[in-house]
Amino acid sequence: MNTPVLLALSTLCFLGGFSFAVVALRTGLHRPSWANLGIMIAGFLLQCLVLRDWGALHGRCPITNVPEVLVFLGWSLVLLYFILGRAFRLSLLGVFTAPLVFLLQAVALVLLLAHGPYPPEKLVQTDIWHELHAAVSLLSFGAFGLAAMAGLMYLVQDRQLKSHHPGQLFYSLPPIRYLTDAIARLLGIGLILLSGGIVSAYLMNARTFTPHVGLSVVIWAAYAGLLTWHFLRRGSPKRFAGAAVIAFLLPLVQLALL
Amino acid sequence: MLLCLGINHKTAPVEVREKLAFADSHLHEAIREMRRLEGMEETVVLSTCNRVEIYSAVNDPERAMESLREYLTRHFDLGDFAQHIDFYHHSGVAAAWHLFRVASGLDSMVLGETEIFGQVKKAYATAQEAGGTARRLNKLFQQAFQVGKLVRSSTRITHGSTSIGSVAVDLAEKIFGELSGCQVMIVGAGEMSRRTGTSLLSRGAKSIIVSNRSHDRAVELAEEMGGKAVRFDDWEETMIHVDIVITSTAAPHSIIHPAMVETVMKKRRGRSLFIIDIAVPRDVEPAVNELENVYLYDIDALETMASEAREERERQITLCEAVIQSHLDENGITALAPIPDRPPTGKDRSRPGNDLVGDSPEADPITHS
Repeated sequence: MNTPVLLALSTLCFLGGFSFAVVALRTGLHRPSWANLGIMIAGFLLQCLVLRDWGALHGRCPITNVPEVLVFLGWSLVLLYFILGRAFRLSLLGVFTAPLVFLLQAVALVLLLAHGPYPPEKLVQTDIWHELHAAVSLLSFGAFGLAAMAGLMYLVQDRQLKSHHPGQLFYSLPPIRYLTDAIARLLGIGLILLSGGIVSAYLMNARTFTPHVGLSVVIWAAYAGLLTWHFLRRGSPKRFAGAAVIAFLLPLVQLALL
Repeated sequence: MLLCLGINHKTAPVEVREKLAFADSHLHEAIREMRRLEGMEETVVLSTCNRVEIYSAVNDPERAMESLREYLTRHFDLGDFAQHIDFYHHSGVAAAWHLFRVASGLDSMVLGETEIFGQVKKAYATAQEAGGTARRLNKLFQQAFQVGKLVRSSTRITHGSTSIGSVAVDLAEKIFGELSGCQVMIVGAGEMSRRTGTSLLSRGAKSIIVSNRSHDRAVELAEEMGGKAVRFDDWEETMIHVDIVITSTAAPHSIIHPAMVETVMKKRRGRSLFIIDIAVPRDVEPAVNELENVYLYDIDALETMASEAREERERQITLCEAVIQSHLDENGITALAPIPDRPPTGKDRSRPGNDLVGDSPEADPITHS
């Protein structure tokens, strides 16, 4: 099966996972289920196959063009959701993650169809710092993306609590305190990963700062400031959650500028 | 065939139910005695505060029913009073249908409550220990557990909370998660606030603080609830440290204003505050709910949520019964006899058509399912 078909199937899986969860939520019967998790796992495995094919094509980490970057970011989001979603008691995070991954991959698919196959970009000499920088930075963006989704969940739950007329989502969403903790932890994990990404970029560029690395530093500083603001208890959890959602625009801008 | 004889909260007042309640300590012996009755082969006794039901596999329904009534009259020393007890009885498929409804919480005082499922399990385990069950009741109860789980997972019969106290607890858990770290303060020591505070404590709230205009009453309630009392002049200061505030003072006007809560919130360093105002007239100005990180619910908001949940559960009954029906159909049980739409409610609740089901061995759903 060729790579775009695998990507299309993976994208459909995430659309299916999202639709499945929405239907379950609308009927008020959403519970973490193997069926829903199975669809997410299938989508993830297909993502792995896509990235493996592209990796073999380039002989390196497959982040040489925009579709690859989008798919790698989607893969990071799902990977971190599998690792952290249950640990943070946020099974519903998958419901919020699936549409974002679907969107990222749908854009990647459209670009692939419009542009046609991208040429291989084999490196003459593999640079370990370059590989590490790209992979770790995208993983950190995955963590920031999940934090944004948790922030969105917080805002939805807060609105329901304030309205006095909670809908079906109310009973499925986690408590707002757990969501606040999850946002902080995800941002912390993202910051650690991004620190690794920046250090490896610095080493990759023969110890010089490029504008690209400069923008990564700006993103790092923004998230570090947000976390510090939260831990110093300067703002309300609602503003923290809202800020986590808005701040995710920064990594998206950086990806758009690649 | 199967037989079910019993009383419940719909058919008998507590004065009758308490006379027929089986003590845990005597249950094993009672089951063994019932099993030795004429016509009886297997027995499970479900005895809770809202129902006493005896499920039996019998070889002679008429004889078994008669000997069971005689046994109950003798065992509980009922004498002539037995004639005034409004027993219902179901046989064959109707008995299975009834047990499945009971295990699913459809026959409970609080529709959809889940405690009954554990009580049915316990009753079955006790009967097993006492040697009261064999193939037919084993199969019936295993099916009841399957159906009970299926009804709960495939419908919204357990959704929401149906009382003000449980709505308050649910909301608190949606804000704070586990309540084990939560401190509760009661302002105004009324009965409703005591009950709501008790609900929160029963779900794990860490401690309770009581403040009342009459400090003696505050001390009394605090002692009763295992908490501590603070002077009425100090409750505003105490609000900085607690997570949940329950107010029910008799003040003729509001005593908690947005400006006051805003000041408190600045000192709380980002911690959420849940205020439950069950006073009429209200103690808390509605504008307090507009403040960030403060969640205010008054008595009407809580009651609306509770009544919406009750209505939703009522609407789910048809769906739940369809699940039960489908289970019976899949096991070839209802092909043998029709099941009425609703459980009978009058005196002598045996279902029409029960005799059709029970008289032939082919009609026994458990033997032939």
